[in-house]
Amino acid sequence: MGLIHNSRIKSPWIMHFDNSSCNGCDIEVLACLTPLYDVERFGIVNMGNPKHADVLLITGPVNRRTARVLRNLYDQVPGPKMVIAVGTCASTGGVFHNCYNVLGGVDKVVPVDVYIPGCSVRPEAIIDGVVLALQKLASANL
Amino acid sequence: MENIIQITKNDIVNEGKKLLDAGAKFVTAVCNDLDEKLEVTYFFSANRGVDLTCLRYTVGKDEEVPSLTGTTLSTLLIENEMKELFGLKVKDLAIDYGGHLMLAHDSPTTPMLKPKKAEAESKGEI
Amino acid sequence: MATRTTVPFGPQHPVLPEPVQLRITYEDEKVVEVVPVIGYGQRGIEKACELNEYNKNIYLCERVCGICSYQHSESVVLATEQLWPLDIPPRTKFLRTIWAEMARTHSHLLWLGLFADAFGYESMFLQFWRIREKVLDILEQTAGHRVIQSVNVVGGVRRDIDEAQKKTVIDTLNVVRRESDDLVNVLINDYTVKSRTVGVGVMTKAQAMALGCVGPTLRGSGVSEDARLTKYSAYGELNYEPIVETAGDCYARMKVRARELFQAIDLQMEALSKLPEGEIAIKVKGGPPANETVARTEAPRGELYYYAKGNGTRHLERMKIRTPTFANLPAVLILLPGCQLADVPVNIHSLDPCISCTER
Repeated sequence: MGLIHNSRIKSPWIMHFDNSSCNGCDIEVLACLTPLYDVERFGIVNMGNPKHADVLLITGPVNRRTARVLRNLYDQVPGPKMVIAVGTCASTGGVFHNCYNVLGGVDKVVPVDVYIPGCSVRPEAIIDGVVLALQKLASANL
Repeated sequence: MENIIQITKNDIVNEGKKLLDAGAKFVTAVCNDLDEKLEVTYFFSANRGVDLTCLRYTVGKDEEVPSLTGTTLSTLLIENEMKELFGLKVKDLAIDYGGHLMLAHDSPTTPMLKPKKAEAESKGEI
Repeated sequence: MATRTTVPFGPQHPVLPEPVQLRITYEDEKVVEVVPVIGYGQRGIEKACELNEYNKNIYLCERVCGICSYQHSESVVLATEQLWPLDIPPRTKFLRTIWAEMARTHSHLLWLGLFADAFGYESMFLQFWRIREKVLDILEQTAGHRVIQSVNVVGGVRRDIDEAQKKTVIDTLNVVRRESDDLVNVLINDYTVKSRTVGVGVMTKAQAMALGCVGPTLRGSGVSEDARLTKYSAYGELNYEPIVETAGDCYARMKVRARELFQAIDLQMEALSKLPEGEIAIKVKGGPPANETVARTEAPRGELYYYAKGNGTRHLERMKIRTPTFANLPAVLILLPGCQLADVPVNIHSLDPCISCTER
C-alpha cells in the first residue's frame, strides 16, 4: 500500500464521457458536483483530461462512431483504472437496443468494473457506484 | 395536414425561394419511402410560425433532385441527412458530408429504407 | 503572415458534456472557418419508432433528449393523438402545460448555470444548479421522476396533481422565483458578464430567419415566433406572449432565457389556478388510422416538430423528429467565423446546443 495508492482511493479523479446518451445521465453526473450532492467533499474531482483521470464514468450506449473515441480515451487513462457504466443504456443498450447505429453497452468496447442501472440514474446511485469502484480498487492487490 | 402543394422536383428551388422571399421560414423536410418511390416534403412556416405550408414531390429512387442549399443554408443538414438515410440523390449541396454526417464508416447504408414489399412477400414476411 | 491552424473542438471536451466535433480553423487567435461534425450521438431512433408499437414510442422518444424529455413525450403523444384525432380532457391539457413549463424552468436554470460556467463564473454555475434541484424535487413529486418523467400516455396522463401537491408546487416556485431573481440580477447587470457577452456573436433578424433558427436563439434576434402561439395543450387559455430581445448577441439570448424563466413560473401559477376538474385520461383502442400529421411544441431550446404517419396498425409508418438544435446548428457557421478563440465556448453555449437531440 503505497502513498499513491492511498491517495488515489482518498481522492479519485473522474473523467466523464458521453457516448451517445440522451443527456439524462449526463446532467445527473453534473448534478453530483453541485451543492446538494457535492461529491467534492469525498475528494472526487471532475477532470477534462483522460491522462489525469483514475475513474472513467461512461454514459449512454456505444454507437458506431463513438466506439473508436471510447477505446481511444480508455487507452489514454493511466492504470490502475476503473470504468463505471452509468445508466441502463451504458450497461446493456437499454431502450435503444433495436436502433441500427447502436452496438450495445459499454462492455462491448472496454472492460467495465461497475454497472449502475437506472434510467436515468439518480445522483445517489452514481455516488454509490463510485464508492463501489473505489472499494474494488482498494482491495486490489497493487 | 393542410396546405400541401404538389409540385415536381424541378420546381422545388423556385417555389421554395418564392416562399422564403415572402417571409416564410424553412422548418424541415421529411422523406417517406413509398416502396417504389420516395416522397419528399418541405415544410415552411409563416405568420409568426403559426401557419405551415408544405411542398411535396415524388421521385423515383434513382433520380437526382436539386438542393435548396443554394438559396438558404438552413436546408443543409436535413438534405445531407435525407441523402444518407434514404439514399435520396441530392445534387449541388453547399457542404456535402459524403454520406457521413450521421453515419459512421461501418454503419448500415440507407438504414431508413423499408424492405421492398415484393421481396418481403416472397420471403413470407408479410 | 498569420498562420492557419485547425483545432478539433471535441468530441470529448470539458466545455460541452456531449460528443460533437467542431473543426475550427484559426488565423492567430481569430476563427476563420468552422465545420460542424456530428454523428457521435446517432442512434437511429426514427427507425426504431417504426419497429416499436406506438405506445412504446413514448418511452423511446423521451430519451431523444434527457433535458427536454418532457416536451419530447408531449410531442409524440400529441402527434399520435392527432392521427385519430382524439378528444383529450381539459384537465389533462392543463396538467401537460404545467409539467411542460416546469421542465422549461429546470432547463433554463441548467442553461444559465452552464452559460455562467462558459465564461468562468463557476460559483454562479453551482448556485443556479442548487436552485434547479428544488424544481427537480417538485417535478419528481408530481410527475414521478427527476429527468425522464414518462408521465404522458396516448389519451392522457398517468398522474394527477392533488391539492397538497399544488400547495407544495406553489410554495417551491415562490422560493425559486425569489432566489433566481437575485442571481439573474447579478448575471444581467454584472460588468464582466456584459463585457464578455455584449456584441459577441451577433446574428441579425434576417440572418436568423434565413438560417431557420428557432426558440430563444431566434427570439434573441428580434423575431417574435413561438410554437406556443399555435395554442396546443392549454396555451390557448393562458395569458401568453413571446419574450423578444432585439440585439441578437449572446447577451440578448441570455436575457431571453432569463426572462423566460420567470415567465415559465408565472405560466405554471396561472395554469395551477385555472386547473379544471375532470378526467385525466381516456381509453384508447387499436392503432392510429392511416393519416399524417405534424405536432409542434415549444421545447426549452425551441420549436419541436414531430411528423407522424400512421397506417392503421399499431405500428407507425413513419415518425420524423426535427429537434430545435438541428435547426440552430447552422447558426455556428455565421456566429463563429470572426470571433476570438476565447469566445468560442460562449458563442456555442449561447445557442444552447443539445447534441443528442440533433442526431437522434
